[in-house]
Amino acid sequence: MARYVLRRILLALPALLGLVLLTFVLVRVVPADPAAMLAGDAATPAQIAEIRARYGLDQPLWQQAVTHVRQVLTGDLGSSIFSGRPVVEEIGFRLPATLELTFVALLLSVVLGVPLGLLAALDHNGPVDQIVRLLSVGGLAIAGFWLAIMLQLVFSMELDLLPLRGRMDVALGNPPRFSGLFLLDSLLAGRFDMAGNALKHLVLPAVTLCLPGLASIARFTRSGVLETLQKDFVLYARAAGYSPFRLATIYVLRNAVTVTVTQVGLLFGALISGAVAVEAIFDWPGLGTYAVQAILAADYKALLAVTLVVGVVYAVVNVLVDVVQALVDPRVAEQLK
Amino acid sequence: MRLFATLLAALMLFATPQAGAQQRPLVWGDTLPATLDMHAVFDVPSQFVLLNAYDGLYRYQGNDLVPWAAESHTVSADGLTWEFKLRPGIRFHDGSTMTAADVVYSFQRLLALKRAPAAAFTPVLTPENVTAVDERTVRFVLSQSYGPFLAAMPIVAILNPRVIAPHVKNNDWGAEWMAANDAGSGAYVVNPANYQARVSLDMARFPDHFMGWAHNPRAIDQVRSRPVMETSTRVLSLMRGELDSTDSYLPTDQVERVDRNPRTRVAQDQSMRVFLLRMNNRKAPFDNLDVRLCFAHAFNYEGFNNIILKGLVVRNAGPNPNNLWGNPAGMEPYKFDLALARQHCDRARAAGAPLGRDIEIHVQTELEQTVQAAQMFQADLRRVGVNLKIVPNTFAGIVTATAAANTTPDMWVHWVSAYFIDPENWVGQMYDSRFHGTWKASSWYSNAEVDSLLTRARTSVVQAERQELYAAATTIIFRESPDIWVYNTVNLRGLSRRVQGYSFSPVGSGGELRLMSLSE
Amino acid sequence: MRRLLRDPVATLGLLLVLFAVVVAAFAPWLAPYPEDAFESHLLQRLQPPSREFLFGTDYLGRDIFSRVILGTRNALAVAVSVVVASMLIGVPMGLVAGWRDNWVSDVLMRITDIFLAVPQLILALALGQLMSPGLTTAMAALSLTYWPFFTRTVYAETRRLRGALFVDALAGLGASPSRILLLHVLPNAAPAILVRATIGMGFTILTAAILGFLGVGAAPPSPDWGLAVAEARQHLPESWWFATFPGLAILLLVLGFNLLGDGLRDVADPRLRRSRR
Repeated sequence: MARYVLRRILLALPALLGLVLLTFVLVRVVPADPAAMLAGDAATPAQIAEIRARYGLDQPLWQQAVTHVRQVLTGDLGSSIFSGRPVVEEIGFRLPATLELTFVALLLSVVLGVPLGLLAALDHNGPVDQIVRLLSVGGLAIAGFWLAIMLQLVFSMELDLLPLRGRMDVALGNPPRFSGLFLLDSLLAGRFDMAGNALKHLVLPAVTLCLPGLASIARFTRSGVLETLQKDFVLYARAAGYSPFRLATIYVLRNAVTVTVTQVGLLFGALISGAVAVEAIFDWPGLGTYAVQAILAADYKALLAVTLVVGVVYAVVNVLVDVVQALVDPRVAEQLK
Repeated sequence: MRLFATLLAALMLFATPQAGAQQRPLVWGDTLPATLDMHAVFDVPSQFVLLNAYDGLYRYQGNDLVPWAAESHTVSADGLTWEFKLRPGIRFHDGSTMTAADVVYSFQRLLALKRAPAAAFTPVLTPENVTAVDERTVRFVLSQSYGPFLAAMPIVAILNPRVIAPHVKNNDWGAEWMAANDAGSGAYVVNPANYQARVSLDMARFPDHFMGWAHNPRAIDQVRSRPVMETSTRVLSLMRGELDSTDSYLPTDQVERVDRNPRTRVAQDQSMRVFLLRMNNRKAPFDNLDVRLCFAHAFNYEGFNNIILKGLVVRNAGPNPNNLWGNPAGMEPYKFDLALARQHCDRARAAGAPLGRDIEIHVQTELEQTVQAAQMFQADLRRVGVNLKIVPNTFAGIVTATAAANTTPDMWVHWVSAYFIDPENWVGQMYDSRFHGTWKASSWYSNAEVDSLLTRARTSVVQAERQELYAAATTIIFRESPDIWVYNTVNLRGLSRRVQGYSFSPVGSGGELRLMSLSE
Repeated sequence: MRRLLRDPVATLGLLLVLFAVVVAAFAPWLAPYPEDAFESHLLQRLQPPSREFLFGTDYLGRDIFSRVILGTRNALAVAVSVVVASMLIGVPMGLVAGWRDNWVSDVLMRITDIFLAVPQLILALALGQLMSPGLTTAMAALSLTYWPFFTRTVYAETRRLRGALFVDALAGLGASPSRILLLHVLPNAAPAILVRATIGMGFTILTAAILGFLGVGAAPPSPDWGLAVAEARQHLPESWWFATFPGLAILLLVLGFNLLGDGLRDVADPRLRRSRR
């Protein structure tokens, strides 16, 4: 098992190195020149050139790439050109916010998606199945940014139930920083008022973000369950008089878990992408808003770092997913050998 | 399951509001600058930090320049030697006293870093020419006389070298530390522990500020700055009471709604921020005066200012804001007149101007007005047979493109804000060819006579003379129509009604917290 | 096909897609004010839905009904070009990588992994800056991030098929690998590709709308739906019609493609077919 895990990690490494290079090429070819922005309004072209030289922006692109890769390998992502602070520190603040949001959204999709998929499978081709399908496919079809604005208007403005923006009421301050996940940190600090408040702030963005995930998990659970229901051992059990519901929950669902776990890995990437628009609208200070700000300001150091971090998170999640899958179903590990 | 029970309990607990809360902090919803280092950044959002956490030698109050950390100044007859006398007993946030040496340090740091706020000074000032005459007197010797010198003084924050010194790394003047910390003397103290760039900035009142607090018995003690990215979220948050202010560019369509809300109001103040459509005068067809005049007459000023923006702006005839000195008397703004526009365009076509090609206009996507103006202009230009193509871009992208004439777009849309109140900020830096390659001068206009008038105005320190020179230059520029000047901004800031004492200045858009109080 | 039509939900999807295709084909004739693609009428801005303007007017006084109709072309054009471009990259790579287990296959799949790991929207945003933002850029960015899904699908199908009896037989008869891949494996993988393509259409329309919303998609005054929602957000809730109708249009078309894809998947997937007895 340990060997499998190791092999899985080693397989991810070249992909990450490739990612570093690819992002560099993409981001650095962006024509926006931070030097002109830094120098300000009344700067002369000579002053701009001087700043460009100071930040190494005048070197040939390949040389900048080599420097960049070397820095990244030593764990140094550089400083944001605009804020002047180490990018690692800024991402340290932003990443937990995004992780908290995506994790809760993922949880919602699983908690709602699996039962829906199960119900649909049990009523295969029946009315429940069709309704669930329509709903879940509809979830995949709604533009998150549009839904987000609608939810704000209904639940914050009209019904006055939930906050519009941010992670916590301003008056409450922030919980003591431990993991950066406000929900967890508040609970650890015993501040239940803060945890409740953080939860309230999470509702709208997480609901918006969870819909596509919910839809695909429901769909894959459905087909996983259907497939398992055809298996011989289930047919025997059925013949032995087990009710389909009991069968479904005990045997079938366990088998369907494998399918769901795989989906979680794939979904994670989609969730982080989706977070860009959702974070912007709910003013969630995560990586998505950071990326947008970096793009608007041509802060390529920050942009490179975000892309890289998201890539790494994605790779880690997928390694984890594979490992979990191998634990649930030893055949997976066999296959890889 | 236990976790769920805990969460449920937490929610219940939250449902009962906590009693005995003292004054709720002010929650400021305007944009934050990327860094707190006031020597590294100089843009509209940075003014909020500059005005509240720091002090300069002079400061703008309303449209006027008033002595601030300096109580007075003198200037030699040749305009080269300036001496500023500091007020006695100014305290930094660490309790130490501000001396002339601190001012010298601050200017040397500014000039060494050479970032945006230094740009106004580097052409005329070198670090060794800033000296302390005595404990409270600073002397500047300029390499050539510079009329706007005093007007630019509020740009420079006076920093406390004693708190920076322990954090200097590789000769960086403490730049990394300063980006997220406080070394000021201003009326409010930054709490670095809660600072997160562009997300949150918490400040507390500084009771020992040298201006005292007698003017404002109910001053605000705690300030939470929470910028909001999305305009719609920002406005809704204000109306719901999650924020006490928006930025000062509330969409005009929202003004009525915010004013109607019992909790909120809109402060309307004429600013000095000119909205204009640029033309690249170096590139055909805009090297042809008739084309430029055709375009100037094809913009529907009335429709844009009065219908789309609901009259919440003021028509501005030229590059300088109307409410600034240095404008020629009786300048009649260009009018929307498609028949006249067509005549000019026909004449230009006859002279061989390539009006058949697509003219690209770059807009700043995140700023809706630039997009609206371009779309409206596009529809009207079509009527005179010109095809305008709208290209979405960002300010950063456009600034880069304007570094050279051949990469500068045909047209682009933006504002020129008040960084200091002097015609140099507008007409001086926009149309003197010495600034070619900067975004302000990106119409690539060049006229030797104008250059000479503007240079003389820049180097003179006699107000009456400068006034005349700027007026003369503006007259010529206006006639040659290098750009399309549309309006001067009325700043629209949504405020919660509990905010009192809000007072506007074109520099900083009224974000000076010292003057505000909360009624509750 | 008959099996597909027996499925009411999938039929609904097919109808929605067909409807959109018809609307797109005849858009200039169906739209009551086709010139509102670019024309502005300031005096009638932000008017609520009425008999004259079924969906109301936008912030420049343009008829939203006409613009939603005209925008259908945009949406379909983006979807089709992105999916076709992704297929052109992804399908050959999947075929080659899936045919043999060797270093070529390894390299190709690692490259696929790299592109899968790049956050799609961030890549698109960065590319939007790289080339000037606009519809072409958005399409390029989307194709660049969507092809790996085709590679994955085709890879899996090819691996499954290469062990099949008929492939062995063909190889035994001396057929060249490229011949086997193109004439025999590809047609057998077609149903899986078709399903992926249909779902990709819906996905692309949605992502393009998000890009339009974030300002790196279609350029104004294009009647793009995502752009319209972006322009409308500052006018909510007073001018609710401004955001609602373009938003609904996105919803319906994406829903159509997804339902269709879902139905096709059930038809194409042999395992599920068996369960349909």
